[in-house]
Amino acid sequence: MMRTLKNRLVRLWRTADEVAREKAVDTVSHEVTELENIFALLVLGMFVGIPSPPIQITLDLMPDMEHEFDLMLSKVATAHDPLGELFSVLDID
Amino acid sequence: MNTGPEIHFFIGKGGVGKSTTSALTSLFLAASGKNTLLVSMDPAHNQRDLFETDFSEKPKQVVQHLAVKEIDTAHWVGKCLKETRENIRKTYLYESAFNLQDHFKVLQFSPGLEEYALLTAFEDVLGRASDKDAVIFDMAPTALTLRFFSLPNVTLVWLNQLLTLRRQICQKKEIISKIRIGTCEMERDRIKEKLQSLIGRHTCLRDRFLSEDSRIHLVMNVDRLSFSEAVRIKQRLADIRIGIDRVVVNKTQPGKPLGALPETLEPHRLAVFPLASGTLVGLQAMQAYLQVQRESFADMLTRPLSTGQGS
Repeated sequence: MMRTLKNRLVRLWRTADEVAREKAVDTVSHEVTELENIFALLVLGMFVGIPSPPIQITLDLMPDMEHEFDLMLSKVATAHDPLGELFSVLDID
Repeated sequence: MNTGPEIHFFIGKGGVGKSTTSALTSLFLAASGKNTLLVSMDPAHNQRDLFETDFSEKPKQVVQHLAVKEIDTAHWVGKCLKETRENIRKTYLYESAFNLQDHFKVLQFSPGLEEYALLTAFEDVLGRASDKDAVIFDMAPTALTLRFFSLPNVTLVWLNQLLTLRRQICQKKEIISKIRIGTCEMERDRIKEKLQSLIGRHTCLRDRFLSEDSRIHLVMNVDRLSFSEAVRIKQRLADIRIGIDRVVVNKTQPGKPLGALPETLEPHRLAVFPLASGTLVGLQAMQAYLQVQRESFADMLTRPLSTGQGS
């Protein structure tokens, strides 16, 4: 009986801990995504009409920037609704 | 101790005689027994007219101790794009790489590729010139040459900014990893590593331009336009801390004064070459001119004393 109760408490604690950790990193994760998007725009901006760095930087970094490239192009899709994105990050319904 | 070859750049306005002066200097060095390579960086490639023979990317021996090569900008642009395209194919998912091809086509028309191609060719030339005593670069007209010299600086400004941003991203990712799984388990960031390696490469190039072994000779004529452009070139290079070694005043005529030129462009740096009596085309004509002007060339290649050391 005591063992079952202890196990349940441990599970509850772990779940609560996991939820708290996820909540804690949500905003930082969003910040990382934004920084990666800025990085992508700085390096690959020429593809979306933004002044780019000397071309060889784009050429050298592009092969390792698949993730940032995808991110930048998906951001273009949500660019018309920045408030909606902000509310979803801040968990406002 | 630097054991690399001495490097001479001949720069200046179009038509002032950069190609002729660099060809004559190369012939002079070769005649002095120095193993010399003359590299034509000017897309106009006048060296083939001066030596009356065709040149290519492969150095061609023209006289004892002297080989000449031409930089084919299109070849270097194509090489850069090909390498990038292959790296993209290797690292991107099939679908992304497939979609990227459309984006990629536009890159070959990007401004800045020409000077980058020249910079890559410059690195390649020096990488293969360990057996040379001197490498002479006949540069393109002013605009392209100035962009060539300032490219490492401009690139370093961008790279340092991008590295700062990348470090921020990596730090935040470390925080996330620490909170999520309790430990900091990070994969190595390839982009950060690449940025650091690019900073190293461009710092080397910038230092190469600033090094004592690299000497820049500014060629000009005694006319107002050429003089004004020479002053602007000197100023633009000074902005990126690159100094002029010699100001070569070409095609001077007896009895025609140099005017305000010596005061503005430092008299101790001047090297004056008179207008040749005939056309300086062909090995024979150039060697005949060199025979008469031997001392002036020897003087030009001697390091000028700074104003503090005397005149």
